[in-house]
Amino acid sequence: MANRIAFDKTILRGVKEKVQRGLLPQWAFTDEDIYRAEVANIFSKTWNFLGHESEIEKPGDYVTRWIVHDPVLLLRDENGQIQAYLNSCTHRGTKLCTADFGQKKTFTCPYHGWTFNLAGDLIGIVAGNRVYGEEMDRTQWSLRKIPKVSSYCGMIFGSLDEHAEPLEDFLGDMKWYFDIMLGRSDAGMEVRGVPQKWIINTNWKISADNFGGDPYHTAMSHRSTVELGISPKDPMYASYGHQVVLDNGHGINMCTAAKDRADVPPYQGLPPEMWPMFKRNLSAEQLDVFEKTMIMVGNCFPNLSFVSPMHGTGGPDEPLTSFVNFRVWRPVGPTKIEVTSWFMVDKEAPESFKQASYLSYIGSFGPAGTLEQDDAEIWTRVAETTHGTMAQDKDVHYNNALNYLMGLDRVEPDLTWPGPGTAYPTCYLDAISRAFYEHWVDSLLQDADVPTGVL
Amino acid sequence: MLSGRHIACVLRTLGGFSVTRCRCSNRRPISRFREGDKMMTYEEICRFLYTEAALLDRREFEEWLELLDDNLSYRMPVRVTRDFGESNDIVDDMTFFDENKRSLTTRVERFRTTSAWAENPHTRTRHFVSNVLVEVNASEDEAQVHSNFLILRSIRDRPEVEQMFGERVDVIRRVDNRLKLVSRTIYPDQTVLSMLNLSIFI
Ligand code: FES
Ligand SMILES: [Fe+2]
Repeated sequence: MANRIAFDKTILRGVKEKVQRGLLPQWAFTDEDIYRAEVANIFSKTWNFLGHESEIEKPGDYVTRWIVHDPVLLLRDENGQIQAYLNSCTHRGTKLCTADFGQKKTFTCPYHGWTFNLAGDLIGIVAGNRVYGEEMDRTQWSLRKIPKVSSYCGMIFGSLDEHAEPLEDFLGDMKWYFDIMLGRSDAGMEVRGVPQKWIINTNWKISADNFGGDPYHTAMSHRSTVELGISPKDPMYASYGHQVVLDNGHGINMCTAAKDRADVPPYQGLPPEMWPMFKRNLSAEQLDVFEKTMIMVGNCFPNLSFVSPMHGTGGPDEPLTSFVNFRVWRPVGPTKIEVTSWFMVDKEAPESFKQASYLSYIGSFGPAGTLEQDDAEIWTRVAETTHGTMAQDKDVHYNNALNYLMGLDRVEPDLTWPGPGTAYPTCYLDAISRAFYEHWVDSLLQDADVPTGVL
Repeated sequence: MLSGRHIACVLRTLGGFSVTRCRCSNRRPISRFREGDKMMTYEEICRFLYTEAALLDRREFEEWLELLDDNLSYRMPVRVTRDFGESNDIVDDMTFFDENKRSLTTRVERFRTTSAWAENPHTRTRHFVSNVLVEVNASEDEAQVHSNFLILRSIRDRPEVEQMFGERVDVIRRVDNRLKLVSRTIYPDQTVLSMLNLSIFI
């Protein structure tokens, strides 16, 4: 990427210094220059989630996705390998494939009819040699590959930066927790149907911050479910467990039940017949953590969030069922995101559990879900307040910094935590958010290490 | 002025109407529309749908729930864009709603709490229901009804209008002399919903 945008570094260094003191200038949410810098310095450099391997199981299966503003054609080729291309014809740039998903051996462009195979090769040109002659080398006009594609636990990521670090390094200690959520069963997870998609007028950091580091909001944002008797009355109920700060801006909250867990089934209520499988696939430490966990919720930097809670499907007396939900907050502008939300469940779970799990997701975290509804409304309210002169003031004349003080210099890490990362013994904490924004500002501050001699 | 007239008559006045395939899902062909005279009248069906829409817009949700059969199925599968020749552009495995009367009742009860922020302050909707078509039915006390919906929604002081549109396929049954909604499948026409949430009913 030769075109990283340099934002005023003095201002950014000031932001960094503030974040370390638990403050975030409000303008950072929706500033237009920041947005452009994020697209150029973060999303164009990092690993972006594209889809799950179960969505493209057979050769020829494809889905179309986005890396922010880059359309991506993700498919499984004849050799069973996963490939990702810029979904744009190399002739005049037409969007090649407009379907959300399907099965194909070739893709033909509707503009002039150039045809590409699953390997991205240009295999057909209308009137071929008669208009181009032999001298045009077709091998030069293959579909442009997304520079790096890699997967972990079935999760496929792509990077627009050919120099991006290996995916496993980027995920780092998040892998340990992904194993628990995604790698605990022999055959892994499957996506049910297709992901849901919808639009929210907010900034991608607001939702990423919310999932990543904000269990504190549940008591108020989701108080309606407390009033209904679906969630516990204790205002501290989402605080129990550990908030784990991971490298690279990632973070996860491993929430447990209040005290003894007598009324909460182990392994998030997954059926006992699956437990031996968990023992096979997880280490003793992972198993120990997983057994006690009720909710896993977090964010994989920059904009891949996840939640795996236990939730009822209808009323207060219904059993709590868990599911795994991943979502990408795709920025489409400083104050607009397109949410793509995948429901996942263990491939080997009994059908009855899969069904209950799906209903639990629809009822809680789908866009009609009783928990999701209120989140989106509140995130739009944050974005809405951020355009004004006071909130946008960069000299901090108005002291416009927002409060990320929770636990700062007060809550010490729990050194007995068996997993990797810095684990704090409460989830009511802004440690992940601070680390997220610190990584975010570091990414914006990176010097443009533009390789010379490209092109 | 449709009083007393049946759908068959209405369709006759439209002349030569025939639909062989419903575009919302190729698994649900619209067969012939109903003929005969013992069935529910078209007017009854329309009055039911319009009343329902008015109750939703007026936020009289408890009364709305009374229109729902105890064994209601209320679903909204996901619309997708498919390639030409792959006509089924509905993915039934994933839905936005997959509800029964119980879960809808829970949703209504949530609106009555003090902290359902998506509807507090509540959003304002107008449900427009049109193009009501009634299918041939096996029983005289049950009708399968297709209708188009357009929902316009205004949120707080935001000037933008949120909207949703698509088709609904309902089964309406006469139970103890009252019409009840037995099942509703909602086929949205957008693959990416342009609404921040679905804290509304369709
Ligand atoms: S743009 Fe695709 S063939 Fe011309
Ligand atoms: Fe929330």
